[in-house]
Amino acid sequence: MELTREEEDMLAGKQGATKRVAMEGLVQLGRAYGAPRMVEIGYAHVHAGMALYLEDVEMIEELAGQNARFSVPTSVNIANADTVNWQQTGAPEKLARLQQRAGTAHHKLGSSCTFTCTPYWAGHWPTWNMHMTSIESGVTVFCNSVIGAKSNRDGYFSVYAGLTGRYPLFGYHLDENRRGNMLFAVDAQLSGTTDFSCLGFHIGKVVGDGVPVVTGFKRRPSLDELDALGVGMATSGGVALFIIPQITPPYASIEQAFAFGPVPDPLPVRRADIDAVYDYFCTSPTGDVDIIHVGCPHASFEEMREYAEMLRGKKVSANVEFWITTSRAVRNMSQEQGLLKVLEAAGAKVIADTCPISCHFARTVSPDPALGVVPPTIGTVLVDSAKQAKYVRDMIRCDTLLAPTAQVIEAAIAGRYAGPTAQGRTP
Amino acid sequence: MKEFHARGIVSGKGAGPALVSEEAISFLGDIDIKSGRVVGDLASVRNASVRGTVLIIPYTRGSAGAWRFLYQLFKHGNHPAAIVSNIVPDPAVIQGAILAGIPTVCEPQGDFKEAIANGQRVEVEVKDSIGIVRLG
Repeated sequence: MELTREEEDMLAGKQGATKRVAMEGLVQLGRAYGAPRMVEIGYAHVHAGMALYLEDVEMIEELAGQNARFSVPTSVNIANADTVNWQQTGAPEKLARLQQRAGTAHHKLGSSCTFTCTPYWAGHWPTWNMHMTSIESGVTVFCNSVIGAKSNRDGYFSVYAGLTGRYPLFGYHLDENRRGNMLFAVDAQLSGTTDFSCLGFHIGKVVGDGVPVVTGFKRRPSLDELDALGVGMATSGGVALFIIPQITPPYASIEQAFAFGPVPDPLPVRRADIDAVYDYFCTSPTGDVDIIHVGCPHASFEEMREYAEMLRGKKVSANVEFWITTSRAVRNMSQEQGLLKVLEAAGAKVIADTCPISCHFARTVSPDPALGVVPPTIGTVLVDSAKQAKYVRDMIRCDTLLAPTAQVIEAAIAGRYAGPTAQGRTP
Repeated sequence: MKEFHARGIVSGKGAGPALVSEEAISFLGDIDIKSGRVVGDLASVRNASVRGTVLIIPYTRGSAGAWRFLYQLFKHGNHPAAIVSNIVPDPAVIQGAILAGIPTVCEPQGDFKEAIANGQRVEVEVKDSIGIVRLG
């Protein structure tokens, strides 16, 4: 692997131990994938340091303690607790205090402390052709497919890339890998983010870690719908990039999406395929639910406006907990707009920095009595996102119901979900 | 002692009894980090512990979160001593193996697959992208 003088210096430790370790890791990763050289990145979305995992916050603190600094604009991924209003989710104070320490460390490192899976709604919007890294696969697929930036599905090494400003040239950083390998023709009326989330989940299952080219939309999907589509794909498959001609930069046509090579026969996607995903995630035999959740991925300001319109003057039933999860940046915007008041008056819990998966999943796999963390006791969760449904069901291992946002909010008001349940669907 | 060449992915040296999985593994979900036991639906290794073993796998199943679980296995002291994969592992797995210092190779040469058996002592050594797997 060919390195520049500066990269060699980092590898030799001339720019400090932190960059040496980071560059050693990046070089090993690059060699594994035959990368010829490094590229300069313009943005990194990095690991928060998760309070529910053993010595995980300490990893970030250690970097900050070594006086390391991120060398590119850096946003921070979702955390295990709302670091301001942790009581809302029943998080133990010890856990919240530990999570707050990650924020302090990130401030030192120079990160923008977004604590979100949707940093783009918090203002982190790279450009077309910009190399970047992301620890969150939903961010990878959004930035590749909607913005036209270049990102792989990374893990912790997004931190290493952010520290050095470098990443090995392989995968979706290479134009030759940014081309379609399957063609989908959508032949269904779709409305709202849940439909798009289910469409994405369906496509991801079929395409695996390929690049789906998607056509047939009756109208231009909204930004929120595009977000839901990509996150759905990244959940069921290893998708990092989808191409919608005329939306995904720079693809103007189906032919260009396949690099002017052979175009495969289109696979039709019908309403029944979308409905099958709803069915798949309706495992509860009744409409009784414990937690009702919207905001996966973290809600945009537009979505906060939608929720507020539906809840204005209404009351969430005392029988259920209704969670809206978003970033603190969007929560602040919503507060200034007067939306937060409307939502809280209706009895919604507006939670930032985390989500049901992030604050309950690790309680399931790694309960820690020292932090007061015990496995959760949840019967059924009603959600409007296929991603949240999948991880709630498979990881927290409780029953799920999946419905469009409007029906989910109606259920929060009624205290019960009146739509189809597992019993209603399975003969 | 039999020696096989392989592509070195993660540098280091590790040894232990072989744990041979016929199925691809997902570090997010298939292994319980608190015990090191295989809890996923992998018929050939179900309930076995990966702790201290040289884990032999056909390939890794994708999840961008795999690095965290491999690293958490290490933090809980339940990590494998080395990993031998037929196909190059996912980037997230490589990142976890580097963080945890678990030597990793792929594409073992010759009749490695026929030669390897569960419980057999295996040593993996990786230096400068060159991997060596010793059975003995």
